[in-house]
Amino acid sequence: MKLRSIRLQNVRRFTRPVCLEGISNGVNVLCEPNEFGKSTLFDALQALVFKSHTSSDKQIRSLKPHIGGAPEISVDIETEDGRFTLKKRFLSKPIATVEQDGRVIAQADEAEAWIRRLAGSADGGPSGLLWVRQGITGLTSGSKKEDEAALSARRDLLSSVTGEVEAMTGGRRMDAALDRCRDELAAFVTSSGRAKTGGPWKAAQDDVEALSEDCEALEAACAQLRETLRARRAKRRELADLEHPDAVEARKTQLHEAETAYKAAQQFAEALDAEARKVAAARLEVTTLHKNLETLRAAQDELKRSVGEVETAKTALDAAQDAHGKADDETNAARQGLERAQSNLVAATERHETARKRQAAKDGIARRNALTEQIEKAQVFWDKMENARAEASRGPNAETLKRLEALYGELRTAKALRDSAAAQFVVNYEPGRDGYVLQGKAAIPDGEAVAIPSGAELTLQDIGTLIIHPGAGGQDDGSFERAETAYKALLAEIECKTIDAARTEAAARAAAERRFGEAQTGYQSLAPDGLEALRAALARIPDFEETDETDKIDQADTEADLVEAKAALIDAQAEFNIAAERKSDARADAARAEAVHSAALDRQTRAETALKGLEDLDADQLASDLERATTTLRAAEALHAEQDRAAPDLGAAKARLTRAVSVQDAAEAAIASLKPDLATLNERIARHAGDAVEERLAEGKQKLSAAEQALKRIVHEVAVLQKLQIVLQAVRNEARERYFEPVAAELKPLLQILWPEAELKWDDDKLLPTTLLRGGEEESTDVLSGGTQEQIALFVRLAFAKLLATRGQHAPIILDDALVFTDDDRIERMFDALHHQASDLQIIVFSCRQRAFRALGGHLLRLSEIDAVSEQNTADSM
Amino acid sequence: MTFKFIHSSDLHLGRRFANIPQAPDGNVRGRLMEARFGAIERLADAARAAGAKHILLAGDTFDTATPSVTVLTQALAAMGEDDQLQWWVLPGNHDNLRDAEPLWDKMASDAPANVHAVLDAAPIDMSAGATLLPCPVTYRSPGRDLTETLPNMPTADGALRIGLAHDGITDFAGLHAHIPPDRDRTAKLDYLALGDWHGRVRVSERAHYSGSPEQDRFKHDRRGVCLSISIEGPGAVPEIEEIETGLFHWLTHDVAAHQGDDISAAFKAGLPAQDRRNTLIKVRASGWASLASQSGLRQAADQLGPEFAYFDLDTAQLGTLYEAADLDQIDQAGALRLAAEQLKAASEAENADAGDQEIAADALARLYAYVKEADL
Repeated sequence: MKLRSIRLQNVRRFTRPVCLEGISNGVNVLCEPNEFGKSTLFDALQALVFKSHTSSDKQIRSLKPHIGGAPEISVDIETEDGRFTLKKRFLSKPIATVEQDGRVIAQADEAEAWIRRLAGSADGGPSGLLWVRQGITGLTSGSKKEDEAALSARRDLLSSVTGEVEAMTGGRRMDAALDRCRDELAAFVTSSGRAKTGGPWKAAQDDVEALSEDCEALEAACAQLRETLRARRAKRRELADLEHPDAVEARKTQLHEAETAYKAAQQFAEALDAEARKVAAARLEVTTLHKNLETLRAAQDELKRSVGEVETAKTALDAAQDAHGKADDETNAARQGLERAQSNLVAATERHETARKRQAAKDGIARRNALTEQIEKAQVFWDKMENARAEASRGPNAETLKRLEALYGELRTAKALRDSAAAQFVVNYEPGRDGYVLQGKAAIPDGEAVAIPSGAELTLQDIGTLIIHPGAGGQDDGSFERAETAYKALLAEIECKTIDAARTEAAARAAAERRFGEAQTGYQSLAPDGLEALRAALARIPDFEETDETDKIDQADTEADLVEAKAALIDAQAEFNIAAERKSDARADAARAEAVHSAALDRQTRAETALKGLEDLDADQLASDLERATTTLRAAEALHAEQDRAAPDLGAAKARLTRAVSVQDAAEAAIASLKPDLATLNERIARHAGDAVEERLAEGKQKLSAAEQALKRIVHEVAVLQKLQIVLQAVRNEARERYFEPVAAELKPLLQILWPEAELKWDDDKLLPTTLLRGGEEESTDVLSGGTQEQIALFVRLAFAKLLATRGQHAPIILDDALVFTDDDRIERMFDALHHQASDLQIIVFSCRQRAFRALGGHLLRLSEIDAVSEQNTADSM
Repeated sequence: MTFKFIHSSDLHLGRRFANIPQAPDGNVRGRLMEARFGAIERLADAARAAGAKHILLAGDTFDTATPSVTVLTQALAAMGEDDQLQWWVLPGNHDNLRDAEPLWDKMASDAPANVHAVLDAAPIDMSAGATLLPCPVTYRSPGRDLTETLPNMPTADGALRIGLAHDGITDFAGLHAHIPPDRDRTAKLDYLALGDWHGRVRVSERAHYSGSPEQDRFKHDRRGVCLSISIEGPGAVPEIEEIETGLFHWLTHDVAAHQGDDISAAFKAGLPAQDRRNTLIKVRASGWASLASQSGLRQAADQLGPEFAYFDLDTAQLGTLYEAADLDQIDQAGALRLAAEQLKAASEAENADAGDQEIAADALARLYAYVKEADL
């Protein structure tokens, strides 16, 4: 937004319409003396932008002229969307309009909203109108006290910066709101958000908990009281039932009847017992008679049977004794046969042992002889082996001879090659002169070509010595010498002078090796484990004496005799065992037969004794008595049975009596117990009822309900305060991030216009400037001079305006009597700064310091009255 | 000869009013308890003034089944002060026969001669020519109509049949009521004295609830009364006079706010002009009001509330009507304005939890109050 003109009517001293026109971009200056109305212009502009047309508050009322009238304010502005006219009239028939090209585009509340959008900032930034104000304005009452306060405020840097700071952060109002919010919240919660000990929230929680416990205890007491009442009702009913006259009479009757019945049953039972005793006596007599008769008959039968048994046992005993005698004879015969067989076996064993020893001696001698012979033969082979081994160790073996043959062949080849290339000579002897030419001591053969590769010294017998030099052409490549050296080295190694000697020795060696093999074969066949083993075996053979061959005993015969004797002994032993067993069986049979016989004799003796004891009994008499007694018993039993059927049940009568007595006793005991129980319950009920537990419970529940409501309210209160605190902190932090740091960045070069390297520091929490850092020293803003403070204030505005402009949101800066404390030197630099910043801003300066501000330059403004026609047009348009 | 008596019920002696907040230096609960106890004397005064010799208490004379010794003893003593008055005390559901057995035992043994606990559903001759037909409550919730025995209760020829019962009338008292509205006719009663309903209610020309002589809740919006009954003879229509016996006035003051209304003025206009110390008032604000109006209402409530025995401002149903000027008064721009707008948006957010909306709305109102306070 950029201002283009301002029109006022009925605003304080401007009762007639006035106009400030021609406001341009850059620096605009309205320099008029005091009381001219500059501050009125400023207040009117502020009212137009920030006050609702329906407002009638103190600030608006202060605009009203003394003579009366409705303040009217109109401004022309220019924005990116074009040129608009904003108009407001206050107090009487208030209106608000926004016009474009003479056409109303918004009015009343819509116009207010339009202006708010223009002046405000959607993101919480500073408003679209910035100002620096130093002088006392018409918005203060002008009382001395307030004037002094305002003057003091001018000296306070905060008062000059606060406008914009508050616009962003809420400033002191935000601080106050946050402080109140924090203070109130701190009464409820700890820094970690929990209920604070000693605080109302914790107290309310404790109240609810304590009251809940109280209610639970009282409910338990009430339940106990109700239970006690229930128990008392039950006991009262029980006692009433027991003491009811009908119940008492019934128990009495029941007891009497039971006693009577029991007595009658007892008498009948006694009579029945007498009859029973008669039956028992008769039954005893019958039993006794019957038993005596049976005893007598049994004794007689026993005697008869025992006599027969004695006879039978005697016969069996005799037979057994005979059998035992025969078995004894047989056993003796068998023993004799056994003894003979044992003697025969001893003799046969001795003979066989003798034969065996003799054979062993014979075998031992033969073995010794054979071993001795074997050792001698083996020794012969051993000697041959030793001789052959000694011979076989001399001369070259086949392998060495083979190598020698090879070297010899190579030597001969090399020699042939050398000789073929070497000078040769041939001696053709005259007849008879063979051997006259010698090389060394060897005669040169006749007619043979002798090669002389390295020359030769020939002895020409009788002539002298012929020395032949081979010359250069006789040189070879040394193959012959190498072959010869190797050949001779091997000969030397095998200690042979010639190959023929080597061949002879090799043949001798091969023959010795064959002999060694043959001797070894013979040796190993005789002494596979060596001679010493044979000698040891020989040493182990004992010395045997030569036997007398005259008493010839055949070992095979003695062995057959021995086997036969052993078999005979076994047979004899078996026969003896059988005989002995038979004898044993016979002896046992005889013993058993004797025992049976003895037992039969005893039984007979006992039977005779028993029968002798029953001599006074007579069987016939006993039978007669038994019949009579039986008849008597049957008659008694019949009578008893008849009486028994007619008898009352004594057990039942007794049980009935017992029950009746127990009922009576139980009733008396219950009555005796119920009365003290009831007394106890009565006392308990009286005590609990007197405690008024239900009254207290009702009271407790009401208190609990109230406490729960109080807690709920506190929880809500805490939530409200926490919500508010969070939101306030968030928006302030957001404002800091969005505006504060960019403004500080814009501010820094401005400060350096006056103070190189200067920097303003801000309170992180309150977002207000705290210190000015210049010349390496920090100065609290509280102690800065008025001039410095107003200069900083102006720079802050410029920084804001610059920031807004860079964001496409132009905000006019209005300086109302600013820089009143600034000295001449600095004011020049401030003017420079204003012009520098005004390149893309709009700055409107109101000042009464005509002389000082003459140097500011810029576009001069004049306030002029509007003529009557224009006035009428203005009025009509409102 | 005209038979006169006083009909009352639901004295609820012993109620302690712990749900009523009490300032540390106040004694409203004690005063309320004392007022209930004083109802005995005021009923006696009413009887004497009316020339009646009998006072019928139709149940719930005591608040609980086991009143404290002090409450019971002092009540009996108060009733016994004037031996010319006969008190007929019926067990109600609070002091029913079963749960309040010790109470009735105590009355049977210790009550003055002129105080009669009517514990059996059987006719009682109150005086020559007047028979009381009581229907004592046996259990806390008997679950049946205890007056169904009334038609078969015999009375002497020419005697008044006066029923005494405690329960709700089925026509208007909901599920737990059992007494048919025509019981006075079906039982051929000359009068049916009913208890249980704390407000005064006429059921028919012969059946009435007297209500409690001393109110104890915000429901009936008038002081408690008793009924003075005069019956000329059997079959005559009883003459009924209400006699105010209540000391305290339990008042509900509904303040409905609409846009543009001065809710503070409406609030003040609805307050009783006199006897505020003996008035318990619950102000229920509803409708919509701006932050400024709400702030004004709360300031007025803070100022006037202490004049009353009890004061409660309930704004749960009062919505906040946000006006641009309200937010402007917080701030026209900047962080405070942003905070206000965020809270306003949260309080109006669609699909948001109602509790969160309420918290946001209250936080906004609180911000408004803080800022206004800071501006002072």
